[in-house]
Amino acid sequence: MIPQLAALPLLFLLQVPPPQRTIAIDEAFAARAGLRVGERVVLSATPGALAGDTVSIGAIYEKSADPSEIARGDLTVRMHLDHLQVLSGYGDRVDRFAISTKSDAAIPSVLEGINRVAFGFRAHRSKDIAVETSRTFQVVSRFHRAIGVITIVASSIFLLCIMILKVDERRRDVAALRLMGISRSSVVQSIVIEAALVAILGSILGVIIGWLASRFVNWHYQELYQTPLQFSIVTPSVVLLAVALSLILGIVAGVVASMRMARTPPLALFGR
Amino acid sequence: MRATLAAASLLRHRARTLLAILGVAVAAAMLLDMVMLASGMRESFRQLLMSRGFELRLAPKGTLPFDTDATIPNVASISSTLRSNPDIRLISPVLGASIHVPVGERTVSSAVLGIDPLVQGDYEMTEGRDVTDMGSIVVNDYLLAQLGKRIGDTIDVATGYDPQTRTYAGRRPLKISGRVRFLYGAAEQSASAMRRETLEAMGGPRDRASLFMISLAAGADAERVRIWVERTFPNVTAISIATAIASVDERLGYFRQLAFILGAVSLFVGFLLVTTLVTVSVNERAGEIAVLRAIGVARSHIVQQIVIEGVVLSVVGALLGLGLGLVTARYLNTILSDFPGLPVAIDFFLFQPAAAWTALGLLVASGIGAGVYPAWRAASLPISTTLRREAIA
Repeated sequence: MIPQLAALPLLFLLQVPPPQRTIAIDEAFAARAGLRVGERVVLSATPGALAGDTVSIGAIYEKSADPSEIARGDLTVRMHLDHLQVLSGYGDRVDRFAISTKSDAAIPSVLEGINRVAFGFRAHRSKDIAVETSRTFQVVSRFHRAIGVITIVASSIFLLCIMILKVDERRRDVAALRLMGISRSSVVQSIVIEAALVAILGSILGVIIGWLASRFVNWHYQELYQTPLQFSIVTPSVVLLAVALSLILGIVAGVVASMRMARTPPLALFGR
Repeated sequence: MRATLAAASLLRHRARTLLAILGVAVAAAMLLDMVMLASGMRESFRQLLMSRGFELRLAPKGTLPFDTDATIPNVASISSTLRSNPDIRLISPVLGASIHVPVGERTVSSAVLGIDPLVQGDYEMTEGRDVTDMGSIVVNDYLLAQLGKRIGDTIDVATGYDPQTRTYAGRRPLKISGRVRFLYGAAEQSASAMRRETLEAMGGPRDRASLFMISLAAGADAERVRIWVERTFPNVTAISIATAIASVDERLGYFRQLAFILGAVSLFVGFLLVTTLVTVSVNERAGEIAVLRAIGVARSHIVQQIVIEGVVLSVVGALLGLGLGLVTARYLNTILSDFPGLPVAIDFFLFQPAAAWTALGLLVASGIGAGVYPAWRAASLPISTTLRREAIA
């Protein structure tokens, strides 16, 4: 009697249909297809097939930041390995194994050990694969650097021009100072200090505008590509380069213009 | 006289004028580059797609050509149905796969297309003959170099490599009959082509294609045929030139946006430079302008003279910038041509006369705009007050 009673729950379980498999889809997929957690969809490995495996959506996830996929706009689905193997007809196969080592120091020996006995596959360092798959971003990075150089040349000329004009405006002041007996070096120094101050103030304003622009760029492209990747980062070295460049150009412009002015007779500066 | 006065004013401060022209030239170069970038990539891609006259491409549902390993079944049946449409002139089914060629101790792998040589639109012959028989293969320069072989040599070609058992599904000797240039191939990509029947006989999927390329009859509406194809074959996605360009726009839209932003910034910088220079020049000549007005020179005359100064700076800078822009565009194009998998024929910076005229037109317009404010200020100067101030100064 007791064994019969014990078997009852088992019989009950056998009559219940197996639980439906679940999958997880990325946010972009969910938004584009208008899907929510709990909804049912039909999966098939054949494009356009009418029949397939009915599953429910168990989760919606945020895609990881992968530069190699940034512009592709691929929609992704995560499912259990055995489920995918059955659905795709792959059988007991995988595309890759990801292995975590106990420490970084162990990586070379693990790689060598696997590749020594590997039959039909090969082990690679994740870092090497990352370098290979981020070639797209390396090209974009080189392109940005080239554009950056052109922009620096253009802004240098602009800055030089503005600073020379700014110093040129002081012709009459310089003439008056020289006529009062102020030495050439004092005149040059005062103009250079003024130019440097203008350059510093301008670069501070430029850094603020650049920081705001960087935030806008990140916000725009993160929304556009649905990724947490940072597209623009204002680093201390970038700020230092911008400030140093504008300061050097400001001082150079100040020196060039003020020296020229200091050499000119004061009355000539007055236009006499 | 207006032009003479404008020229005299510009020549009075040569260093300043030269710097302004240089600044405008760099801004113009950047503007031209960005105008070329904004339209060049799309036009270059359109020219590439149209180069062999195939207006439609059919790929497995939801995919782009050769984006995945998925294939379309029932090639014969689909081809027959497609032929029944009078708007369709040519059908070219293509099957994609990989081949492996043992060369000494190493194995060279390559992409291979199974095609019908009479209707294929994937490559151009550069030497030798096409795959007219089942025993031949054509290869690109990169693969030929990898193999270290010549046209006429026979190679041992294998398909369907199973890495677990290290066996091949099919293997046969094929004669290299010709050297070809793949229209959609990247620079450093091994590629080859053989008859689709050969690929099938070597263990490739039977009666399947990765892609159908369709050429339409003259006057046929591509969009109408595209809709008909998608309704008739639910397991395929029909891609017209317009949808392909839209897809590329989506993937590489970043560059178009960058082009727009940098182009606008360049134009603004050029405008600001010319405005500043002309404004300072006008302020310096306030007395001179007041004298001209006092002796009866018309306001419009003053305005024209100052606007001419701005336009001269912009035009001379722009002309210099156009040459500079072409050089920098070539350099930037070399950088972007390293994109992985990008067809060799795609240019990001494509020179089109319309782009040059657009850049020049925008700069001249900005030059006129830059001169208007200082000109208006100069023409509005109170004559007596200005003369008195200048006399005291």
